[in-house]
Amino acid sequence: MASTEPWLMENGNLKGMSKETRHGRTAHNMSSSSLRKKSDMTLVSKVPCGIVRKVLANLQEVILGTKLSILFPAIPLAIVAQCYGFGKPWIFALSLLGLTPLAERVSFLTEQIAYYTGPTVGGLLNATCGNATELIIAILALMQHKVDVVKYSLLGSILSNLLLVLGTSLFCGGIANLNNEQKFDRKQADVNSLLLLMGLLCHMLPLMFGYVGKFDAAVIEKSTLELSRVCSFVMLVAYVAYLVFQLWTHRQFFEAQEEEGDDVTTEEAPVIGFCSAFSWLVLMTAVISLLSEYVVGTIEEASESWGISVSFISIILLPIVGNAAEHAGAIIFAFKNKLDITLGVALGSATQIAVFVVPLSVITAWIIGINMDLNFNLLETGSLALSILVTAFTLQDGTSHYMKGFVLLLCYIIIGACFFVSQAPLKANGVNMRVESSTGAIFKA
Amino acid sequence: MASIEPWLIENGNIKGMSKEITRHGRTAHNMSSSSLRKKSDMSLVSKVPIGLVRRVLANLQEVILGTKLSILFPAIPWAIIAQFYGFGRSWIFALSLLGLTPLAERVSFLTEQIAYYTGPTVGGLLNATCGNATELIIAILALTQHKVDVVKYSLLGSILSNLLLVLGTSLFCGGLVTKEQTFDRKQADVNSILLLLALLCHMLPLMFRYAGGSEALTAKPTLELSRVSSIVMLGVYFAYLVFQLWTHRKLFEAHGEEDDDDDLVVEEAPVIGFWSGFAWLVGMTLVIALLSEYVVGTIEDASSSWGLSVSFISIIVLPIVGNAAEHAGAIIFAFKNKLDISLGVALGSATQISLFAVPSCVITSWIIGEKMDLDFNLLETGSFALSIIVTAFTLQDGTSHYMKGLVLLLCYIVIGACFFVYQTPLNQGNAINLGVKASTEGSFRA
Repeated sequence: MASTEPWLMENGNLKGMSKETRHGRTAHNMSSSSLRKKSDMTLVSKVPCGIVRKVLANLQEVILGTKLSILFPAIPLAIVAQCYGFGKPWIFALSLLGLTPLAERVSFLTEQIAYYTGPTVGGLLNATCGNATELIIAILALMQHKVDVVKYSLLGSILSNLLLVLGTSLFCGGIANLNNEQKFDRKQADVNSLLLLMGLLCHMLPLMFGYVGKFDAAVIEKSTLELSRVCSFVMLVAYVAYLVFQLWTHRQFFEAQEEEGDDVTTEEAPVIGFCSAFSWLVLMTAVISLLSEYVVGTIEEASESWGISVSFISIILLPIVGNAAEHAGAIIFAFKNKLDITLGVALGSATQIAVFVVPLSVITAWIIGINMDLNFNLLETGSLALSILVTAFTLQDGTSHYMKGFVLLLCYIIIGACFFVSQAPLKANGVNMRVESSTGAIFKA
Repeated sequence: MASIEPWLIENGNIKGMSKEITRHGRTAHNMSSSSLRKKSDMSLVSKVPIGLVRRVLANLQEVILGTKLSILFPAIPWAIIAQFYGFGRSWIFALSLLGLTPLAERVSFLTEQIAYYTGPTVGGLLNATCGNATELIIAILALTQHKVDVVKYSLLGSILSNLLLVLGTSLFCGGLVTKEQTFDRKQADVNSILLLLALLCHMLPLMFRYAGGSEALTAKPTLELSRVSSIVMLGVYFAYLVFQLWTHRKLFEAHGEEDDDDDLVVEEAPVIGFWSGFAWLVGMTLVIALLSEYVVGTIEDASSSWGLSVSFISIIVLPIVGNAAEHAGAIIFAFKNKLDISLGVALGSATQISLFAVPSCVITSWIIGEKMDLDFNLLETGSFALSIIVTAFTLQDGTSHYMKGLVLLLCYIVIGACFFVYQTPLNQGNAINLGVKASTEGSFRA
C-alpha cells in the first residue's frame, strides 16, 4: 500500500517525530497487537485468480490473524447448539468461548480503520468500541429485563480490569524485571484514578439513600432513580471532557513511551482496506450481538446446572473470558517493561466502563422504560470502593514491583471468593422491584 | 499615616527582606479577598472643607465602598425593613443572604487592616478565628434557636463547598489558562491529614449509632464521644496554628512572583486607623449577627415556599452565598497561576470549619444545654468522606490541570443533586429522636 513508504522512511526517526503519526495506536490497540501473527502470504499468493486471491488474503488476515483464532469454531458450534436444542449450559459455554476471539478482532479492525481516519477519530473509535463486548452484553441484558446481570457484569469488568489484569501484569512484569526499575508515567494513572473516584461517588450516594432511614420504599426508589439519572449525565460529561483531555489538549500524557520501536514499526501499515475493515466490523459486531444474546439468555440455566450463583458468573466469569485478549496483551507488555501500555489498557478500560458504559446503560434503560439505577448494592459497591482505593494508592508513586501486582491479584481472589460463597439467589435482594424476565425467573432491580 | 514611609523605603527590598515581617499576616485568606477591592477615589472627599468630616467620610468611603460587592449593601436595610413590616418571610431570607455576602468580605478586609497594627502572629490568629465568622455566627444562632440540624448541615455544606466547589472552579479556570500548574504540596498535605482526622471524628459516632442496639442505648455514649472528640479537635487546631504561624511558617507563605510585586506593594499600607478598624469590625459583626438571625429564623418558610428541602438550602445555597467573596478571589488567583493562594483559601477554610467551627459549636451547645453530637447522618458523612478522599488524592502530587478541577466540580454537582432529590422534610424519620422543640412551628431532631 502506498502509505508503507513514508513509514519506512520515518522508521529511523520515529522517536524524534511528533507521536501524532501513530495514528491513534492507543495503548488499547497496541496491547492486542501482541497477539497478532504475521500472515503468511505464500499459500494465498499461489492462487491464480486475482480477486479470489484478494478475498482469500483478506479472509486470512482477519480470521487467522490472531493466535486466538483456534477459538473461532466455537461460534458455529454455538449457533448449531442453539438451533438444535443442546443443553443450555453448553450454549452458554460455547458462546463465551466464541466471544473471546471476536473481541480481539474488533479491536484489530478498529485499529485498521484508525489508520484511515486519523488519530483523533481513531482514538474516539477506540474510546467507544474498545469495550464493545461489555456494552453489547449490557444492552441485551437490559432488553431482556435482567437489570441485575447488567450491573454485575459491568461491575465485574471494572474489578477485573483494575485488579486482575493490572495485578497479573504488574506481578509478571515485576518477576521478569527483577533487576530493572519499573517506572510509568503517573499522570495518566492519576487522571484515571480521579475519574474512577468520581464514578465511585456516583455509586455510593444512591446506595446510602437506601440506608438512610425509615422512609417509604417507593419514595427511596424514585429518589434513587432520579439521582442515578442525573449522575449518569454528569459522568458522561466527565467522559467527554476526558476524551477532549486525552485526545486533544493533554495528548502527551497518554502517548505510549517507546524505547526502541522495533516490533512496533513493522506493523505500522494497515493490512486491509477501509471498506473491507468497516464491513468486517459490522459483521463481527452482529455476531457478537448474537452470541451475547445466547449468553444472556442461558445464564440462569448455566448457573443452576453448574451450581454457582448468577452473580458469581456475571462478576467473575464473564469478564475474565471477555477480557482475555486485553489481559494477555497487558501481561506481554509488562514483561517487556512497557508499563505505560499496560496501564493504558487496564486503567483505560476500567475508566471507560465506569464512566461511559455504566451511565450509558442507565440512560438507555431510561429511554426504553426500564428502571436501572446506580445502586449496585452494598457488597458490590464496597468491593468497588476498596478496589479503586487500593489501585489508586498502588499507582500513585509511579513505580512498580511484583509485590504490588501480587497484592492486587490477591485482592481479586478475595473478592471472587466473596461472591462465590454469596450464594443468595437474586430473589432475596433488599429493594423489591419485581420485573419478569423472558426465561421465567424473577429478578429484582 | 506615619507608617507609610517605612513601607516606601522597603518597597525596593521587599523580596529580599524576610517575608514574615513585611507581610503582616497577609495570609492567603486575606490576599484572595483583596482582589475584590477597589482603590478608593479620594478626590471627591478631599473637597470637603471641614477636616473631621473629611476624615469620617474618607473612612466611610474606604470601608463601605471599598469593594466591588458593595452594590449588595442596600440589601441590609431592605432586610431589616422587610422584617419589621412583615414582608414575605422568604423575601427576608433572600435579602438577608444577599446582605451577608459583602459583610463577610468586609470583615475579612477589616481583619487584615487590624493585622497591620498587631503584627503577623496575632493577625494570623485573628484570621484563623474570624476568617469564617459568618459560618460560626449562623451556627451559634441556629443553636440558640434549637435548630441543631441546620447547624450541622450548614457547617457541612461550607466544608463541601470549600473542598469541591471553590477548589474545583479554581483548578478548572486556572487549568484553562495554564496547561499545567504546580503548587506546594506540603501545605495541601497538612490540610488533608487534618480533614481526615475530622472525618474520623464524624464517622465513629455515626458507626456507633449503627453498631449499637437501640437508639436509647446509643444516644448518650454518642454525645459523650462527640464532646471528647471536639476537645481533641480543638487541641489539634491549636497545634495547627502553632505549626502554621510559628514553627513552620515558611510552608504557608504565599510565593509571590516578581511581576506581581507592584500591585501587592501598593496595598501594603493600612488605609484606616486601628480603632476605627476595630469599631467597624464590632459593628459589622453585630449586623452579621442580626442578618444571620433572620436567616436562621426564616429558613423553613423559605424552604416550603420555594419547594426545596431545608437540607438542600443549608448544605448548598447558604455556603455558596456566604462564601462568594472567597470563591471569586480564589478563582482570580488561579487565573494568575498562583495556586498556593487558592489552595490556602479553600483548604484553609475547610480545615478551619471542620476543626474549629464544628467542635466550637459542640462545646457551645454543651454549655447552653443543647444536645449536638458529631453524628451528621449517613448521607452527609458519606459525601464528606468521599469529598476528602477525592480532594486529597487530587492534590497529592503537587500539579494540577483543568481535568482535576472539572472532576471536583462535577462531584459537587452530584452531591448537590443528591441533596436536591433528598426531599424528606427534617421532621420525618430521622433516627435519633431527641425531640427538641424549635421556636417556630416545626420540630427538629438532633
